[in-house]
Amino acid sequence: MKNKKHRLLKKLRRILPAEAVLGDEEQLRPYECDALSAYRRLPMIAVLPDNVAQVRAVLQLCAREQVPVVARGAGTGLSGGALPRTDGVLLVMARFNRILAVDEHNRTATVQPGVTNLAVSEAVAHLGLFYAPDPSSQLACTIGGNVAENSGGVHCLKYGLTVHNIMEVKAVTMDGTALTLGGRALDAPGFDLAALITGSEGLLGVIVEVTVKLLPQPDTARVLLAAFDQVEKAGDGVAAVIGAGIIPAGLEMMDNPAIRATEEFAGAGYPVDAEAILLCEVDGMAEEVAAQMETVDALLRQAGAVHIRAARDEHERALFWSGRKGAFPAVGRISPDYYCIDGTIPRRELGRVLRHIKKLSAEFNLRVANVFHAGDGNLHPLILYDANVPGELERTEELAAAILQHCVEVGGTITGEHGVGVEKINQMCTQFNARELAQMHAVKSAFDPGGLLNPGKAVPTLARCAEFGAMHVHHGKVAFPELERF
Amino acid sequence: MQTALADFIRETPRGREADAILRKCVHCGLCTATCPTYRLLGSELDSPRGRIYLIKQMLEGAAVGAATQLHLDRCLGCRACETTCPSGVEYGRLLESGKIVAEQNAPQRSTKARALRRLILAVVPHEKRFAFLLRIAQKLAPVLPRKLRAKIPQQRAAPAWPAPRHRRRMVVLRGCVQPAAAPAIDAAAAQLLDEHGVSLLGAGGCCGGVALHLPAAKKGLALARKTIDACWPLVEQGAEAVVVSASGCAVTVKEYAHLLRDDPAYAEKARVVSSLARDLSEVAAALNIIPAIAPRNLRVAFHSPCTLQHGQKITGVVERLLEDAGYTVAAAPNPHLCCGSAGTYSLLQPELSRQLLKNKLRDLHTAAPDLIATANIGCLLHLQSRTATPVRHWVELL
Amino acid sequence: MAATDHDASAELLRAVKQARKEKRALRIRGGGSKDFLGRELNGDVLATVSHHGITAYDPAELVVTVRAGTSVTALSAALAAHRQMLGFEPPEFGGRATVGGTVASGLSGPRRPYAGSARDFVLGLTCITGKAQLLRFGGQVIKNVAGYDLSRLMAGAMGTLAVLCEVSFKVLPLPAAERGLAFSVTQDAALQMLAGWARKPLPLSGAAYHDSLLRIRLSGARSAVDAAAAAMGGDADGGDGDVAWWRQLREFDLPFFTAGGAPLWRVSLPPAARPRLPGDSLVDWGGAQHWLRSEAPAANIFNAAQNAGGHAVRFPLGEGESGGVYLSPLPAALLRLHQKLKTAFDPDGVLNRGRLCAEF
Repeated sequence: MKNKKHRLLKKLRRILPAEAVLGDEEQLRPYECDALSAYRRLPMIAVLPDNVAQVRAVLQLCAREQVPVVARGAGTGLSGGALPRTDGVLLVMARFNRILAVDEHNRTATVQPGVTNLAVSEAVAHLGLFYAPDPSSQLACTIGGNVAENSGGVHCLKYGLTVHNIMEVKAVTMDGTALTLGGRALDAPGFDLAALITGSEGLLGVIVEVTVKLLPQPDTARVLLAAFDQVEKAGDGVAAVIGAGIIPAGLEMMDNPAIRATEEFAGAGYPVDAEAILLCEVDGMAEEVAAQMETVDALLRQAGAVHIRAARDEHERALFWSGRKGAFPAVGRISPDYYCIDGTIPRRELGRVLRHIKKLSAEFNLRVANVFHAGDGNLHPLILYDANVPGELERTEELAAAILQHCVEVGGTITGEHGVGVEKINQMCTQFNARELAQMHAVKSAFDPGGLLNPGKAVPTLARCAEFGAMHVHHGKVAFPELERF
Repeated sequence: MQTALADFIRETPRGREADAILRKCVHCGLCTATCPTYRLLGSELDSPRGRIYLIKQMLEGAAVGAATQLHLDRCLGCRACETTCPSGVEYGRLLESGKIVAEQNAPQRSTKARALRRLILAVVPHEKRFAFLLRIAQKLAPVLPRKLRAKIPQQRAAPAWPAPRHRRRMVVLRGCVQPAAAPAIDAAAAQLLDEHGVSLLGAGGCCGGVALHLPAAKKGLALARKTIDACWPLVEQGAEAVVVSASGCAVTVKEYAHLLRDDPAYAEKARVVSSLARDLSEVAAALNIIPAIAPRNLRVAFHSPCTLQHGQKITGVVERLLEDAGYTVAAAPNPHLCCGSAGTYSLLQPELSRQLLKNKLRDLHTAAPDLIATANIGCLLHLQSRTATPVRHWVELL
Repeated sequence: MAATDHDASAELLRAVKQARKEKRALRIRGGGSKDFLGRELNGDVLATVSHHGITAYDPAELVVTVRAGTSVTALSAALAAHRQMLGFEPPEFGGRATVGGTVASGLSGPRRPYAGSARDFVLGLTCITGKAQLLRFGGQVIKNVAGYDLSRLMAGAMGTLAVLCEVSFKVLPLPAAERGLAFSVTQDAALQMLAGWARKPLPLSGAAYHDSLLRIRLSGARSAVDAAAAAMGGDADGGDGDVAWWRQLREFDLPFFTAGGAPLWRVSLPPAARPRLPGDSLVDWGGAQHWLRSEAPAANIFNAAQNAGGHAVRFPLGEGESGGVYLSPLPAALLRLHQKLKTAFDPDGVLNRGRLCAEF
């Protein structure tokens, strides 16, 4: 192992400048995890290329040497997708941080994968355009990571996920082949490979360039904050708004613990006594927005809102959102650690699921704060725990698993936007059967027959599921009866 | 974040503080986005989150190599990350501890690096030595190479300091570099306050900031005590505030209470001085200056020093004062980024400092300003070294 | 559910299994409305129309799940009853188009540049791969990133990877108001106007140019549509008349499509491209889709499309078969990847052999 590392370091230093190849534990330790710090692994080596030729050379070398490669952007992922391999090379793409071209006539921007999400919108703001997907970490997360995870955000009910907002992806496969997926037209010949690589969690190729779609900034955007004394009533409010044919640009819900945590950081003016608040943003032409604001106001009152306030100006609008966008880390103020879950459920199940989470929270004796993309049913329960207390992380993981299990049971999914990574790999066995997982492995093999790109993430091996299944027997049925038990 | 601090530090005040800070960090990475060095270098090790990790390793007992010291040295200490951090991680304080521990445990720096640090410590915090050397440099300037010449601030005449005539009095901390390099600033401040019923009395020298950040904690704390001693008589005589016109010094004076909290002889005095410490902008904003009636037809780009916006969390105050005074304050991109001055950073990390300065001036010039204003002597001299556009302390413009 | 509802997935699965065993090729067919589309038709017909019916629809969730043999017309009617619609506005081909064929061919109507494509609205599906396995990918919720997005991969794959069984779509509310505008301008002027409007937040839902007339469709809240119309100028081209025109465009019922003539092509380009295409064209999708009638050899058309930054598809509507010509050729590396993916889903080449590419 040591020998192998030494040899590889020598070869990598022929491809990259010495400062871009990290091999000492001291330098590697800060790369041992992404934003899901509960999972940590020291990479064997980390490299920081700054051009595509270097990326291709590194991949070719690693393919030859049979060394696994994990790509990483800003390391803001919440599912451990960029968790390194102790026997692998961590390919850090942060230096690919240039915006290559803005085509205002075709409304696209071509960027390197390490450009941050927000930087794209900032670079085109003067043209009256913006890049729509806006994950909460948009200040820091990179476009490459966004594509790899098919990131969402608070505005994706109306504007879609990353997959709906990219045109073309350039990627390099493990054998060093450069591929252009999608194109500058609205469709491309053959299979929709741009859609396939989006959300593939770095298992199919390393993204080296992305052309994103830009949208005209809405004339007007207004946000309204409604407070409820019961979570269920807020859920009813959401259903009423959608049922009335309104597609809000953003529709977010927070429960009381989440409100309290974020209010302290953002000072957004959230009512800290409310059981739930809804943030509802409508955008478009001024006339349309005014009419919709009235309708939304009336519908939410009918649903039982005890207090409704519209942001008076752009400043207050930004303030309302700042609380929501900083909600996860703000929880760091009330708890040393938190564990974020990313289940998606049909909206109608919201009340039931929240009640169930409350029950589980009491059962496991762990506090849970809930942040919810109410428009699209994406629920983010944040389990508050203390990693310094022995056993608490394990209990947290069990609670998370129980919550995700419930999301699948009510017709939802284990991950809406954060990806499977390493974190939800076992839950994949609940959501997909062995044949479906085998099909995913077959797709992986078409891109990466040696299985060297980000192995062990996103799609579990059947053996792993069999092991996991053996522990989890639901409704009297053993999962994967077709598999042998180990 | 999970922590397991090592025995050597766990139960010390420094260890307890560091542990509390580390545990607040949830490793989300938002701080990387606004970190000037991460933006330049693209390495986790040159980001706040990476440095927190390096410090954590060190405090958990791992061997400290040159890498840890290098990446901590590269930190500007601008604290933009603190403004960005939703979890409330007090990075600045953690860094201070980290640097001290690294200084004790890391392999010794090169002879050249140590000499440079000794030289800085021997000159900068000593206002008389600095003034002497500056005068020589100014005399030699005509025969120096152009690149070096640009770094030497030109002598500008200072307005007269009004004699104390008001009942309301405040102390102004004179600082180390400023009296020699830009005496006009405090004089302008004294005039402004005088016109509004407050007499400003100068006192003290170096606040200790330069030494503290180097880190030379012992010398820094000694200078802090000296400053407190210098201000104390005036405070006892009823000075309402300890005003600091350089935001970099203001942020340090505000930290005295924290820095000297375990010093029985000075804890109480430090608490009082810190509680009275005001950035000049805070004092000016409270003066109710009558807004100018006519615009001055001058565009000003304001570079808010990190020590003002991130260190003291004062935003928008100076801009409002300038607008009220009839200037057009032109917005420039990336207002949260450091100019690269950062105390002694421009001397210790010249390459990175130069790049940051270049970027900062490019950003400021997109606003096509007639003047650049700032609020800290370090930034002022640094910016002026590479631009023909006049750079002034904002108070000189009022 | 209606009496015709029927779950034929077991029969479909059996048929694929049988064909695979006998090494027979299958040609998946719904309503047969798109028999003209693709390189060539091979194998025995696998009829999907009997796999029919809406299996789940909750309007407040904005999600509908429907069997592949269901006609798009029937689905649209069911959605319209709740004032909802398929956002990508697929052609119905006189009631013959099925949900499966629509997704497999990835055809989207005039609303596509503004609302999204067929693939964009697919949330999940069940399908039978060439390995005769009934699999489920994606889900019935709007956000879902568990596993590879194999459901969206099926959109536009022309049935070469799997037989679609059941598809879940995100649906949209029907716009409260809709109206058309018309401008008599040259094509260059039209494209310029479109480029300008596309940078404004206008409630556009269609923009097409033909016969010296630029037609615009606006959809949304009444107030927004009226305000946009006032801001854009132009002539209102009649109340219901313009709705009918857009329907004709979607359904290929305009004289441009029905009158016959030179072979028809679909050329997909960046919206601001100013292509030099050999022949007569009708421009849709705000400049991003050119319907071209041209006698030029296929290679010339593929070249012209490529030079303009896009690609071309032979679209022999009403002309019989395409004669083996279909798509702009794929670059070698991409073609190899396509072949590997085909093998991953359909190793024995049972499904729609040769329909998308000659190589598989």
